[in-house]
Order: sequence, then structure tokens, then C-alpha cells
Amino acid sequence: MELLFFNAFNGLIQGVFYALMALGLALILSLNSVINMAHGGFLVIGGYLAFTLTPYLGFWGALVVGPLLAGVIGLAVEQTLIRKLYKRADPLYSLLLTFGLALIIQDLTRTIWGAQGLPAAVPEALDRPLSSTLFFITGYRVVIIEITVAAAAGLYLLLRYTLVGIRIRAGTRDLESVAALGVNIYKLRALNFAMGCFFAGLAGALASGILGLTPPMGDSLLMPSFVAVIVGGVGSLGGAVLGGLLIGVAAGITTTYYPAASEAVIYFIMLVVLVIRPRGLMGQESVFE
Amino acid sequence: MRSKVTRREVLKAGLGAGVLALGPAAILTYGRGEQPIKIGDIDPLTGNYAAEGESQIRGAKLAVAEWNAKGGVLGRELELVIEDNASNAGQSALKASKLIDQDKVAMIIGTVSSAAALSVSQVAHQAGMIYMVTGGHTDPLTGTQCHWSTFRICTTTYMLAAGLAGTLYKNFGGKWYFLTPDYAFGHTLQSSYEAILKKLGGTNLGFSLSPLGTNDFSSYLIKAASTNPDVLINLTDGQDRINSLKQAAQFGLFKKFAIGGGLSELEVLRALPPEARVGWATLEWWWDQPNVPHVKEWVASYRKANPDGSYPSARTWFGYAGLHAVALGAARAKSLEPVKVARALEGMELPPEVKLQPHRVYFRAADHQLMSSEYPGEAIPNGTYPDQFKVSQVIAGDDVALPTSETGCKLDYPA
Repeated sequence: MELLFFNAFNGLIQGVFYALMALGLALILSLNSVINMAHGGFLVIGGYLAFTLTPYLGFWGALVVGPLLAGVIGLAVEQTLIRKLYKRADPLYSLLLTFGLALIIQDLTRTIWGAQGLPAAVPEALDRPLSSTLFFITGYRVVIIEITVAAAAGLYLLLRYTLVGIRIRAGTRDLESVAALGVNIYKLRALNFAMGCFFAGLAGALASGILGLTPPMGDSLLMPSFVAVIVGGVGSLGGAVLGGLLIGVAAGITTTYYPAASEAVIYFIMLVVLVIRPRGLMGQESVFE
Repeated sequence: MRSKVTRREVLKAGLGAGVLALGPAAILTYGRGEQPIKIGDIDPLTGNYAAEGESQIRGAKLAVAEWNAKGGVLGRELELVIEDNASNAGQSALKASKLIDQDKVAMIIGTVSSAAALSVSQVAHQAGMIYMVTGGHTDPLTGTQCHWSTFRICTTTYMLAAGLAGTLYKNFGGKWYFLTPDYAFGHTLQSSYEAILKKLGGTNLGFSLSPLGTNDFSSYLIKAASTNPDVLINLTDGQDRINSLKQAAQFGLFKKFAIGGGLSELEVLRALPPEARVGWATLEWWWDQPNVPHVKEWVASYRKANPDGSYPSARTWFGYAGLHAVALGAARAKSLEPVKVARALEGMELPPEVKLQPHRVYFRAADHQLMSSEYPGEAIPNGTYPDQFKVSQVIAGDDVALPTSETGCKLDYPA
């Protein structure tokens, strides 16, 4: 019983992390209509930049600047590559483009920083469990939760109460009308893409403290995030968060009883959701229905 | 906004650069008379074992340079054809077929993952080609699934376990829980440990199988901790080992029980933060062997060829020894005929400048396993690269290997 509680709790912590990844993915998917296969790449960029900047800016400074730079690189990519594809209705083009981009980013990372893993360090004060019984709750994992909650809340407030946010939400519903009302949707989309990449970079900088840094680290984190988006509902940011938490807990509980299935269970959940409620738990109609 | 460079110009520039890159190679080949001997090298340049794969390739390149400086093998230069398999078994089979059919290589070396090695071994055997396994440890490669055409440089999973299990039992106690990577390497390594634990009379508390490439080990570690072991036998390697040890350190588990076992690597030690660079493990070669001839010179020549501050690891030596072995085999057989090379390799002892270790190192004739040493020891938490491991002893391969009567290997030479 204790083991079950531990694993469910642990799964929740993991789920928070998936949610952070999924948020950026969902943002880009909803307004830019791009299935961003390179999201894992921006995660890696954020992680490596934060690692490289840590000696100069300290851990916390790098945690802010690294993801911001990932956002800036995202902006550049959007301006030079992604925006050319908006006019093509077929999502296959952007899928292929971002897939290629993911490979390029991975190889560039390998060329610049090497194939060897790099030891990203966590501030010593955070690098220990808070209690001896609940040893899996470390200071660092609590910080990850706090930052994710803050980031999600910040995003919510931005989308709810600022002009840009309202335009983004409106654009998600009906981009043509927003454009017709005189809003520069190209700028809007560029900003949105950069924001999504910032979230990916933030996830990468945080993940490096637990996983260390390797060029392919984005690959394995990307799939659970996609699953979180699909389960939660394409187009819904709240859904992305819910989806992330749900698959985290499900994987945690499964580990208690049948560890070998802990990876498969999240795809099983996705399957069930797609069959019963294709739009996802909190998704709008029309994306998959 | 729009740049002035046209697409056509970029294409032209690209073509120009391509021709430039081809130039020197084309000139070198011209007028040499004999075609070089191509040797295929299948190693992971991407994926979980990319760091280890890169080391093996660097080792092979060093050996190629040494042979070519002496005029090559059978009067022909050696040429390495490198293929990336991303440690994926299916891709490895495809790459092996490509090397055989398209590149017409004379022999194949390589792989880090055991699963990949098994699949290359099968393809090479069907084509009747020598395959020198450099870094896949699982027992069956020179055991139940051995072939006349397959030889192996790195030690077997049984040898890895036998070189360390006794020390762990003696130092920390006999209640063991296993964290095992879920593929050929992990499975055979775990059963070797279990067999030895049983002989010693210890308690097996169970195991968790983690898929290769697992990021988050928290759930496995929670389960392991709930069994209160004396030792958590961590059998993961590469990036999985880095992640599991790092997370165990953050959870404070090193204070609760010993974590050790399995295979460690200089590449892994380098990527670990000090608090996770703890515990006993086995290496299969070490750069710092002051009393062994040629080691110092070899380390120096590696560092000259790879001026990135790195030191050669066991993986570098695998690639180096593997390439030397096939070249020596061909030179001894005075032929590239696979069966003749295989016969020449059987029982062949590696010369001191290649073996770079104290004990006798030779290929057993009955199963084609190289009798190379184990280097068990303890990681040094505060050591700076490359001084991050203290080798406690160097055990001769002959002392830890299963006798050939027990490996289950029956060589299948063509009649």
C-alpha cells in the first residue's frame, strides 16, 4: 500500500514535468497549426545553453536566460522556415520540416557539445530529499513543481487578461476573422511559437538537473508530451496540463504492479481516449472529430 | 527582408564544397595500384551509447593508422567504413547487409549494444564473413549462439559478474536487488550475478527491468528501496547508468544501502556528478597502468590523435584491439579468406603493444572469446577526469571465464 502511494505521488511529480513540455507543444499546435516534432530539440537547446551559462550567471540566472535564448532561436526558426509553410493547408509539410529540424538540432548539439553526456549540477541545497521516508521528494523536484505551476499560471493570466493573450485565444478559434480585424497574425504567430519554444527550453533546463545532458534527450521526452496533448485535448492548454498529470500518475501506479507496462500504459490511455472521445478530455470539437 | 543569395548560387557553392571534399581522397587513391582492404565498423554515433560508440571508432582509427604507416595488411592499405546503428538491432542488420553487399567490406567489427551485436553476428554468419564483436557483452555471442565467423574482444557478462560479485558480497552483504536493463545484455548479466549469489548463499530480493533509454528511474528506485537490500546491483550502462546513479544520489539512497555492480565506463564516470560517482563496478581496461609496457605510449598517441582533452577508455581499447585482431588474423593467414582468417585467429595471442594489460590475452579456440582482463574497483567521488576510478586488481580473463565446456558453444564451420 505504501509502495502504491509512493509511486502514485512520484507519478504526479513526473506528470508535472510532462505538463510543462505539453504546454509549449499545445501552444504551438493550436495557433501555429504546427505539429512541432522539433520540440524535443528546443528542450535540448534550452538545457545545453543553461548548462553553458551556469558558470557565468549562476544556476538561477542560467535557468532564466537559457530558455529565453531557446525562445529567441525558436523565433528565428519561425521567421526563416516555419512561416513559409502557413499557407500550405496540409500539416504534412510542417511535420516533415520540424522532423528534419529535430535531426539537425540533435546533430548540431552533438557537434558543438560532444556525444558524451554532460553533468549538469543542481544547487547543493536542493540536491537532497526533504525527508528520509519520502526520499523521492527532493528539494529540486519541489522547485520543478513550483516553477511549472508559476509558468502555467503566468501563461493563463497572459492569455486571459492581456491583449496579446486574447488575440492568441481568438486566433486559435478563427484565425481568418482575427486577421480581418486588422491584427497582424504573422507577428502573433511568431510570438506564440517563440513562447512555445521558451517552455520547451525551460523543461530542458529543469530536466538536465535530473537526467544530465545528452544530445538525444529530447527524443524520449517528446512522446509522452504528445500523448499528454492528445489525451488532454488538442487546442486546450488546461487539457495539456491535465493530460500530463494523468499519464504521469498512471505510469506511476502501473510501476507498482507491472513495471514492464509502465511505458505502454500511457499509449493505452491515449488509445482509449481516441476511441471514446477523440477530441480529448478537454478538447474542442472539430480537431479530430 | 529577402536575402540576395539565390538558391542556385547556394547549390553551386554546395557542389563546389562537395568536390573540394572529394579531391584529396580521389588523388590519394589514384595510382596506388592495389585497392584498399575495406573493414566495416558498425557503432552507435547516435542514441543511448553514442559516447561509447565514438570511443570504439576512435580506437579502430588509431589501429588503422598504425597498420597503414607500416604499409598495410598483405601489401594493401586498410580503410574503415563507418556505419551508425543507433544501438538498434534491426538497423544493425540493415547496416551489416549494406556493408557486405554494397561496400564489399572484407570484415566487420563493432557495436556496443549486445542486441545489436547478436543481429550483426547473424547477418555476417549468413554471408560467411568475419565479425569481430568489440563491445557487446551478452554471453550467447560466444556461447549458445556462437558462430565460426564471430569473435569477441570485450568480456562476457559472466566474466563481468564473476570479477565483482564476490567483492560486493564480502564488503556489503548478501541481500541483493537488481536494476536490470531490459535487453540481452541485462538479462544475461543478471542471471550470471544470480548464479553466483546462489553459490555464495545470499538472498535474491527481486529485480526491476528498465527499458533501454529510460530517463526517469524514480519508480524503479522507490521499488528497490522498499525491499531494503544490502546492495542494489545496478546493471545499467551508458546514459541509463548515468541517470539511475544521479537520481539515486538525489534521493539519498547511497546512504541507505550500497549501490554497485555491473559495468562502468570512463565515459559514464566522466558524466556523473561527484555525489553519484560512488560505488563498486567493473571496468575492462584502464588508462593508468604504470607497470604495463606500452600503455603510456599508447595513451600519448591517442591524445595526440584526439586533442580534445579526452583519455582512452576501455571502449577505445576494444575498437583498437578489435581492428588489430582482424588485421593480425589476415596477416597470419596470409589471406582474406574468412575461414582461413578464423583459423588463424583461434588461439592467437595479442602482442604486448596491442593487449596493453598484464595478463596473457588470447582468443579461445573453442568459443572465439578473447581472454581479456577485468578491472574491478571503486569510483572516486572527488576525482577529476580522468582520475575517477581506483582499480583494486586486474583479474586475468582465464580466472573468471566459464570453461568452454559450459558456455554451450558449438562452432559451426562450413563442412
